[in-house]
Amino acid sequence: MKTSRTNRRWIRRAYLALAVLAILIGFSFLAVSVVQDLRQLESARSDNVQWTLAQSEVEFLEFSQQLHVTGDGSAADLAMVRQRFDVFYSRINTLENASVYRSLLENEAYSQALAAVRRFLDTTVQFIDADDPALNAALPSIIENSDVPRAAVRRLANSSLDSFAAAADQRRSDFAQTLVKLAVAVILLVLALGLTVYYLRRLNIQKTRQQRETAETAARMDTVIQTSLDGVIVANEDGNILAFNAAAEKIFGHAAEDVIGKALGPLIVPDHMIEAHDAGMARMKAGGEKRVVGKGRVQLEAKHSSGRLFPVELAIQSAETETGKIFIAFLRDISIRVAAEKELIEARDQALAADRLKSEFLTIMSHEIRTPLNGFLGNLTLMQDTKLNSQQMRYIRNMETSGELLRKHVTDVLDLSRYDVGYTKMREIPMNLASFVQSIVDNQSGMAAKNNTTIEWDWLGPPSNWVLCDPDALQHVLMNLVGNAVKFTNEGCVSITLETENMTEGSADFIFRVSDTGIGIAGELKTRIFDDFVTGSVAYDRNVGGTGLGLGIVRRSVKAMGGEIDVESAPHVGSTFEVRLNLKKAHPVVQKRAKPKAPQMIESLRILIAEDNEINCAVAREMLLAEGHTTAEVYDGAAAVSRVQHETFDLILMDISMPIMDGRSATRKIRNGNSPNAQTPILALTANAMASEQAAFLADGMDGVLVKPLSRAALQEAIRSLVAKLRAPEGSPVESEHQNEMREVLGAAAFDKLRGSFMVEAENLNRWLQLDDLQDLPEIAVRCHKIAGSAAVFGATQYRDALIAVENAADSGQPDSVRLTIGAIESVWLTTKASL
Amino acid sequence: MLSYFRALALWTTLAILVAPTASAQSASVPTGEVVLTITGTVDKDPVVFDLAMLMELDATVIETATIWTEGKQVFQGVALDVLMDSIGVTQGTLLATAINDYTVEIPVSDAVAGGPIIAYKLNDATMSLRDKGPLWVVYPYDSSAAYRSEVIYSRSIWQLDRIEVVE
Repeated sequence: MKTSRTNRRWIRRAYLALAVLAILIGFSFLAVSVVQDLRQLESARSDNVQWTLAQSEVEFLEFSQQLHVTGDGSAADLAMVRQRFDVFYSRINTLENASVYRSLLENEAYSQALAAVRRFLDTTVQFIDADDPALNAALPSIIENSDVPRAAVRRLANSSLDSFAAAADQRRSDFAQTLVKLAVAVILLVLALGLTVYYLRRLNIQKTRQQRETAETAARMDTVIQTSLDGVIVANEDGNILAFNAAAEKIFGHAAEDVIGKALGPLIVPDHMIEAHDAGMARMKAGGEKRVVGKGRVQLEAKHSSGRLFPVELAIQSAETETGKIFIAFLRDISIRVAAEKELIEARDQALAADRLKSEFLTIMSHEIRTPLNGFLGNLTLMQDTKLNSQQMRYIRNMETSGELLRKHVTDVLDLSRYDVGYTKMREIPMNLASFVQSIVDNQSGMAAKNNTTIEWDWLGPPSNWVLCDPDALQHVLMNLVGNAVKFTNEGCVSITLETENMTEGSADFIFRVSDTGIGIAGELKTRIFDDFVTGSVAYDRNVGGTGLGLGIVRRSVKAMGGEIDVESAPHVGSTFEVRLNLKKAHPVVQKRAKPKAPQMIESLRILIAEDNEINCAVAREMLLAEGHTTAEVYDGAAAVSRVQHETFDLILMDISMPIMDGRSATRKIRNGNSPNAQTPILALTANAMASEQAAFLADGMDGVLVKPLSRAALQEAIRSLVAKLRAPEGSPVESEHQNEMREVLGAAAFDKLRGSFMVEAENLNRWLQLDDLQDLPEIAVRCHKIAGSAAVFGATQYRDALIAVENAADSGQPDSVRLTIGAIESVWLTTKASL
Repeated sequence: MLSYFRALALWTTLAILVAPTASAQSASVPTGEVVLTITGTVDKDPVVFDLAMLMELDATVIETATIWTEGKQVFQGVALDVLMDSIGVTQGTLLATAINDYTVEIPVSDAVAGGPIIAYKLNDATMSLRDKGPLWVVYPYDSSAAYRSEVIYSRSIWQLDRIEVVE
């Protein structure tokens, strides 16, 4: 649009220039022509020809008269005759030879007359040139002959008249023509001038209108700018102020008339930013990058006339004008807003800090409570081994029940605070959902049975068992939900269903539903059920109890795993909790199943206890002594490291937080040292049950973790499994110790009978596996699982592991893996059979 | 204008070449026939010249065509300004009269270097009365258009006999 207008203007200008040029050329041409004509008139080629011809007649008459007055023939008179003759002769010579008279010769009358004169001169000259007497004697004849030339000289004058008149006419006509041309040219010029004047007038009108419009626009803009609530500053490319509106005056405390024309920088830019400002202006002038201009709202510091610095929000735009680039800045004093924001942020930070402090306080308090509680419960356990009458036994059991409940509550509070402090870090570990849920069902089935409630689980839709998930967090969630369901259901049914949605190649939404036919949740409570410290009605409390933290923790766990939890419930009908998690799918991994517990006798071990809390130390010592072990005690990590230098231990129990050197550092020192105990098993003793931290302990070189408060069962199991691992040499297909235990427990006859039937079952399975065309994978999994359990009873570890590998492969629906794992079965079985 | 100055330079050069015996006013008296008599406001009235006296003055040569002759002519004579210098005339008008009493007016201002001469030789020969001699006022017509006007032609008097200087 703009370009085409510019083009049109240029074309018009070009036409105008061409017209002017043409007129100028025309004029120059005419001017040259007129000047030439004038010069021709000026430099007359002709003498006054008419006069000359008349003069020749005069000169002839003078000569003729002299002839007549010369009567006596005196010398003087004769000399006069000669002179007059010569003058006349000279004239005729001129007429004959002069270029100016040449054209007259074309006139016949003229040339005949001239010839007659010439003849007279030629006849007469001899007498003129003769001596005086001869001339005197010839005078009469000369006079007589002079009639002819008189008439001839007269004819010369007359005959030339016509020619000269014609020539003069021609010249006048030529000049007149030139004048006419000139007049035409003048008219044309006047017309052209008229057109030019018209055009210029139109241009002028246009320009006046544009000026008026521009002035109106400017006035309007000025009003807009002056009444703008934002400060408006206009500056040129050199940073000199061109405009400074009323709002800007108010913001910066400068009067417009004081600052117009001055450099912008020193006036409103804070001293510490002036260098950057100048650099920015220079960069823009050089056509460089714009960092503020045209970048929208920018927050900067500005300087008031009093020198006070204050925050402004500004937007700068640049515009091209005829006088160069200008910058228009819109500014707003945001001191108040910034102050308000700052206050708000401070208030929020304070609130967050307070909340965090609260959580930290809770964590510390719970921890501090747990430590004495540990001692309390440990001593209760030990007390049960002393001689007690039945009443004391009952009191002790009551105390133990209360103690356990208290421990659970403290653990809840601790977990809650951990989530709030933000210590939670979810791990991604491959796990099998089927076995995972099964273990939860197994765990809760006893409780359910007590309430005459059935508990069951199943997949809705195709199973997808292997996922990457944090097993601890998921266990926490499901255990809580299932635990609640069981707790609140009497003579009903608890069912767990798993379902997938939005299945993609790598992940899916997994939906865990825990439904019960229990008492349900009233509408009002439903909305608050996931809040902290919410419990059911007082009436139910008597039956179930609780801190009201369970679902609060569940909610936090689910959130930490990136999922959602929801509940649907109707009082007296039941509740359904739905957990929705997006989980990555995992490849199946061969997992070692927890070994079935079995009562057993364990040889006496030499055990080092590193624990700074005396009571906890005593509890551990007493428990171990009761099991027939011997103990040594140290109270910090450094002492543990020095103690193991000289004395060999079978096991070290290592508290984590100890003075001087903590348990983790001590473990690393022992593992990296060359003491006799460099390879001795080390078990962590910790109140810190977070999975991520436990993993760190194992990375330090520990072999397992015992969570405080220490229970006798957990301690026994840990020691048992460690010893089993130590005693069963790698490559032995059967744990003979385990087998011996079984034999002791069952009695030799029963054991042999059972072993016989196990071997038959195993052989049957092996055969079946070899025959099976692998169509029924679930069936394979179920049968392998069953025989694997039997194998564990007889300590046939390798065979059991081989079967579990088949089961896992079948569970994950991978026929190739199944075929591969089945291939290994036969050889394992042969070695196992030999050892049984 | 340019051509005027070029002509001026040319004539000056020729004057120096042709008249090595430059002298101021000749105090000599005419011995031959008087060819020119100057009267009027002059120091010595009248001043008379014979041909030899004129030839004694610095000579100037003009090569030019005229409207009264055929082809280029070479005139030699005394430049009018030289002649005026020799008799101390700087202003006024010259009334130049021919042998038959025909008179023209020549302003003294015409007497400039490169201007008119009083020619006594045409094509290296003195001029007889029949050939417009013995003296002929000749302007360098070819050197400038300004010298080719009716006025100049009318001032080019031949058979010059006497000059009267008037205010």
